[in-house]
Amino acid sequence: MAVSANSKKSSRSKNRKPADNQIVSEVAAKISTAAFRVPFALAIALALMSLAPRVQSSAALVWSFSGAAASLLIWLAYLLFNSRSSKQERVFSVLLRPQHYIQATVQLAVYAYWGYYWRPVYDHAWLILAQLLFAYAFDMLLAWSRRREYSLGFGPFPIILSINLFLWFRDDWFYMQFLMIAVGFMGKEYVRWQRDGRSSHIFNPSAFALGLFSVVLIATNTSSLTWGQEIASTLTLAPNVYSFLFLIGLIVMYFFSITLVAGMAAITLFGFSALYSASTGTPYFLDSEIPAAVFLGLHLLITDPSTSPRTPLGKTLFGVFYGLGVFGLYSLLGALGAPTFYDKLLCVPLLNLSVIAIDRAVRSIRSESVLNVWRLDWFGGRANLAHMSIWIAFFASMSLLGKTDSKHQGDSLPFWQQACISGLPNACDRLLQLEATYCGDNAAWACNELGVHYREGKVTEVNAELSLGYFSRGCELKFRAACLNLLDTNLVARDVPHELDLRLLLREGGQNLMTQSVEELYDRACIHEWKFACESNGTPL
Amino acid sequence: MSKATADNKAEAMEADEHEIPGRALGLSIMCAMIVFVAFWMSLQSGQTYLTVNTTSTFDADATAGFLADSWYLPDDELLGFVLIPTGSFLMGSNPALDRLAYENERWSSSRRQGTVDLPEYYIGKFEVTVAQFSAFIEDSPDQANSVFSSAVANIPITNITWPEALAYARWLEQQMKASANTPEDLKSFLESGGRIILPSEAEWEKAARGTDGRVFPWGNETRSDLANYGSTAVLPVGSKPCTECAHGLADMSGNVWEITRSPMQAYPYDSEDDAENLSDDALWVMRGGSYSDTVGNVRAAVRGAVDPGVRNGSIGFRLVISKL
Repeated sequence: MAVSANSKKSSRSKNRKPADNQIVSEVAAKISTAAFRVPFALAIALALMSLAPRVQSSAALVWSFSGAAASLLIWLAYLLFNSRSSKQERVFSVLLRPQHYIQATVQLAVYAYWGYYWRPVYDHAWLILAQLLFAYAFDMLLAWSRRREYSLGFGPFPIILSINLFLWFRDDWFYMQFLMIAVGFMGKEYVRWQRDGRSSHIFNPSAFALGLFSVVLIATNTSSLTWGQEIASTLTLAPNVYSFLFLIGLIVMYFFSITLVAGMAAITLFGFSALYSASTGTPYFLDSEIPAAVFLGLHLLITDPSTSPRTPLGKTLFGVFYGLGVFGLYSLLGALGAPTFYDKLLCVPLLNLSVIAIDRAVRSIRSESVLNVWRLDWFGGRANLAHMSIWIAFFASMSLLGKTDSKHQGDSLPFWQQACISGLPNACDRLLQLEATYCGDNAAWACNELGVHYREGKVTEVNAELSLGYFSRGCELKFRAACLNLLDTNLVARDVPHELDLRLLLREGGQNLMTQSVEELYDRACIHEWKFACESNGTPL
Repeated sequence: MSKATADNKAEAMEADEHEIPGRALGLSIMCAMIVFVAFWMSLQSGQTYLTVNTTSTFDADATAGFLADSWYLPDDELLGFVLIPTGSFLMGSNPALDRLAYENERWSSSRRQGTVDLPEYYIGKFEVTVAQFSAFIEDSPDQANSVFSSAVANIPITNITWPEALAYARWLEQQMKASANTPEDLKSFLESGGRIILPSEAEWEKAARGTDGRVFPWGNETRSDLANYGSTAVLPVGSKPCTECAHGLADMSGNVWEITRSPMQAYPYDSEDDAENLSDDALWVMRGGSYSDTVGNVRAAVRGAVDPGVRNGSIGFRLVISKL
């Protein structure tokens, strides 16, 4: 039953009934100002965290933590004063919802596995903990500002963990991370509509914050202030990450019947990707049939039951639209010169906005057989298990066809070089995009190649300024041809990738190549169609 | 549930929602936060990662002798450039004359020194200064990422990478070609194919030691009164004037190492082979030694080397105008 906190609760909290699968504690806060100790402790803990060595490593981080803690304390003091003067108590009750703690457990598993192969994730753990403290305190104060009882559970966990699976601000701009969280919670609290007779939030809180900040980052061309690109490209450093995400995704699917959403999104993306590949001869996505970060997103970002359609056909359409949205945005962002990793984030808020329309459209269908197309009496009426079986069979087929964790043609630079020379659609743009990514990863060869492209004008339009910029970067990374190109603006000096370049260029498939022997490295380069490596017989030229 | 009941419930909920205070205020605050983020981000996008003094903050005494309206180049007839005439010179070291010579200064296994013939070119009398480089950064802030904080206008610019030095040279060339303040001799030299660039190590060495094969710019004896070496700090350019030095150039020995456009390769020197060995890591010759070096490293023939991406407080550069 619902917690009886005190007699002055709002009628709203009195009337609230817990869902069947909620665990509601009898431990209620029978308190007046005692409840304020919780956010106070959280704010103090956040302030104390600024003493941690990880935070002390950056003055901007220390200020961000201190500022966030100070803001919470000021807000808390105001509420305390307000509570006493209006004689209205602020209360909370403990409410543990499976969709929160199961989702959080799955997300933590992703962090653990990914971080094992990309250490910055573990280094980021302190900052995630700080965000959780901030989120709890902020959410609590926000509820109390609205004179609403606060439900203390695991709610902030999936929001924070979800945000951090896609976007972190760098240390110097970490205050933006706190602002992003604040916007996410405020969106949940204030941007609401009536759905099925109940007031509910329109947007998935993490997707709302991620979507808004993505738009701002794109519009202001400040993506470099975040780790967004690195996050999107390092998931594949974890071996067999698709299989891993698939397996943990099954847990979420089993408990929350979101198979139709995630599965249809994946099937749509696989389908369109295959169609594009068949019609053009080149892969649509650079690093895989579905980028790993998108595969993660369709399991964890669009599967919030509160912000997705309720009807089975509606869920199916929701998944299909997400797949189409990501597919379209990938090209659109690329054409605009914006980072493509935002593709999985931007369409979620728009889809959230469309759920009522989707459900309404589906309910307007007067054919029972169409309406119940996914409610067939399979598995004794347990439709979700039937959906999961189809999804498992589909993923297994894709894996057997080498479309998940296997080597992907789009990762091979020589493939794109050849495709560009052959004039295949978009191949030259993809070549530039891929080289820009590798140049950003400090592969000097890629920087020099980009400089050459912008100087020669064969692959793209001549741009002397860009060309000099890339040559400068390649030169600073000790690529001699790039330095010579800087010295003589009429020269086009090129060379094959050096050893360190190869360790960066060939890392697809998730392997960390930094410790691989030179012989193995050149053998791998040969397999990836680098002719010079085949001619070197496993030794550097 | 009938439609009417559902509507009534929705209205009741909505009414309840309105009783809860702060929705309009909360929405306003949220929108304000988003606007603030967008505004702040747009400011960040225009920010360079450069800590640089603007030329307007320099002390007037430190810019005396330099022309503010001519990119803070020296106030003389040729804006601080000195003509080095056509001709050959002796390059490398003779250990019989120079006991401090290093092995990499030897011309070949059979010869100690070699003769190199160079066409005429101009070289800067001084190392490029903080004020000169700041003028470049002010004009094109996205062209360099150097981090320097000295407020002294006339000390040599340091902590710049090799590509940034080249970027400055390119910029100055554009400015001088377009400006009416450029002396006629320099303008005609530029118009006839001259380029402002880092010196080759041969150009640098010829300018430093002249044609008589001297060990130091001023002769064969050590003279701490003519060069800043074995000390603790960089000095303003020209602090130790050297009329005895070849071509009257200042600070060719000591003060800061000067990067060149020559890759580090074994002698015999031949600029034609600069474009070879592309698979080797880039390593560029630097000359002249710095304030912190001992006398052995400030000889005219000494050859240091540096990665092109390195920033160092004792490495700067000077420019030449040369027909490549």
